[in-house]
Amino acid sequence: MNTKLTDNRKTPLYETHLNRGARMVSFAGWMMPVQYESIIKEHEAVRSNAGVFDISHMGEFILEGKDVIDFLQYVMINDLNLLEPSKGQYSCMCYENGTVIDDLVYYEENLERFRMIVNAGNIEKDFQWLKDHIGKKDVKITNLSEKRTRVAFQGPNADELLQPLVDVDLSKINRFYFVHCTIKNNPVFLARTGYTGERGFEISFENVFAEKIWNDLIETGAMPVGLGARDSLRLEACYSLYGHEISDSITPVEAGLFWLVKPKEGIDYIGKEVLLKQKSEGTERILVGLNLIDKGIIREKYKIFKDGNDIGFVTSGGYSPTLKKTIGLGLVKNQYKKVGTEIKIEIRNKLLRGEITTTPFYRNV
Amino acid sequence: MDYECPNNLKYASTHEWIKIEDSVATVGITDYAQYQLGDIVFVELPEIGMVFDRGSNAAEIESVKAVGDLIMPLSGEIIGINENLADNPENVNSSPFENGWMIKIKFSHPSEIDELLSAEKYKEIIQNEKH
Repeated sequence: MNTKLTDNRKTPLYETHLNRGARMVSFAGWMMPVQYESIIKEHEAVRSNAGVFDISHMGEFILEGKDVIDFLQYVMINDLNLLEPSKGQYSCMCYENGTVIDDLVYYEENLERFRMIVNAGNIEKDFQWLKDHIGKKDVKITNLSEKRTRVAFQGPNADELLQPLVDVDLSKINRFYFVHCTIKNNPVFLARTGYTGERGFEISFENVFAEKIWNDLIETGAMPVGLGARDSLRLEACYSLYGHEISDSITPVEAGLFWLVKPKEGIDYIGKEVLLKQKSEGTERILVGLNLIDKGIIREKYKIFKDGNDIGFVTSGGYSPTLKKTIGLGLVKNQYKKVGTEIKIEIRNKLLRGEITTTPFYRNV
Repeated sequence: MDYECPNNLKYASTHEWIKIEDSVATVGITDYAQYQLGDIVFVELPEIGMVFDRGSNAAEIESVKAVGDLIMPLSGEIIGINENLADNPENVNSSPFENGWMIKIKFSHPSEIDELLSAEKYKEIIQNEKH
């Protein structure tokens, strides 16, 4: 790998990771920890206790103005009428043809102020798209990505471990809701959201508190977890990864996220026509779960065959430490989506036996 | 970083270790190789009886994030494979030189042994490797 280290950005926790012996890789233009000790150990720690992730490479915007809800209703496929202050919502932002610009979460601070978290690789693209579509609406967008540190605190014991450090009753925060509170007296934005399939939180705060809060969270007994385990955790939970299950050539309906496509009657939004049509009529290809019957590891881009015909490809694959076998997701022709359908997956010039299987592979939220 | 390099073994620049006992060579991947690959999750070993030339792929080693090849350090016939790796591929990480052994070769060209590296020479190579 020829990576120019100087071209990659560093999060406020970069030195902290190095001091901990993390192995760093370049991801979306950022030097991020892929693992500290072992991807599998970190994965298992999150499933059994708790883990802390540096997700500062992701983007964070503030959108403000009288027309912010109208604006978001126009650029997002999900329905903000389902939102209320102190609550967040997951959505895709789509092109006119229904394919995805990014998947993201926005949080309603109040009727005129939203916080939005976007994928690391799409920060500039998203920011530009949003700005380009404001038109005459009263909306101002500020990019806080480099001014704030973001971490995820995830695991079945997350609540129990975090409660002594915060000044709010965590049990009163339901999934997708957020609060502004403190962690050992330092102010944070704390949301009950996550990307692992476990209970937990995603937390954002000013860079000046980065090392202190990270250390406070580690001291609870949670394990530091890198991007390697972040990927294996989200794959078990079957959460989409941009560029894999969704992209600028895959629509949310094809990716199985048809529930994000809302009718929003009387409200126009970008991609509405195409997506509602796909939702009602179906799509030529659809995302499915993959199980390998022969021995091997399913990986992205491997081709999927049925009776000698190319019927699709793997969007994500890997090893599941929880199930102790390989798992994968793939886009296949609609007529083969039935669970139990026998297929072949091409792994390095060999066709291995597999089948369509149920998803998710694991959820504990 | 200090990688283990037992002195009683021979090495290949492709990161295999070789233990020679009479006409049989036991082969696995080195501590350096297992560290580079990360958590090993699957090893595809050859079948007993298969014959390979030196330099060809004998096995595929899959980690969470990557795939590596076991390159035959000597020509010969596969007379043993470590079947434990099917259930415990992580042995390659925890014990690369012992429980993580992969194949046993009845080598056909003893002169090839001269081209294998000493522990010292191998240590030099990994110290100079850029990654």
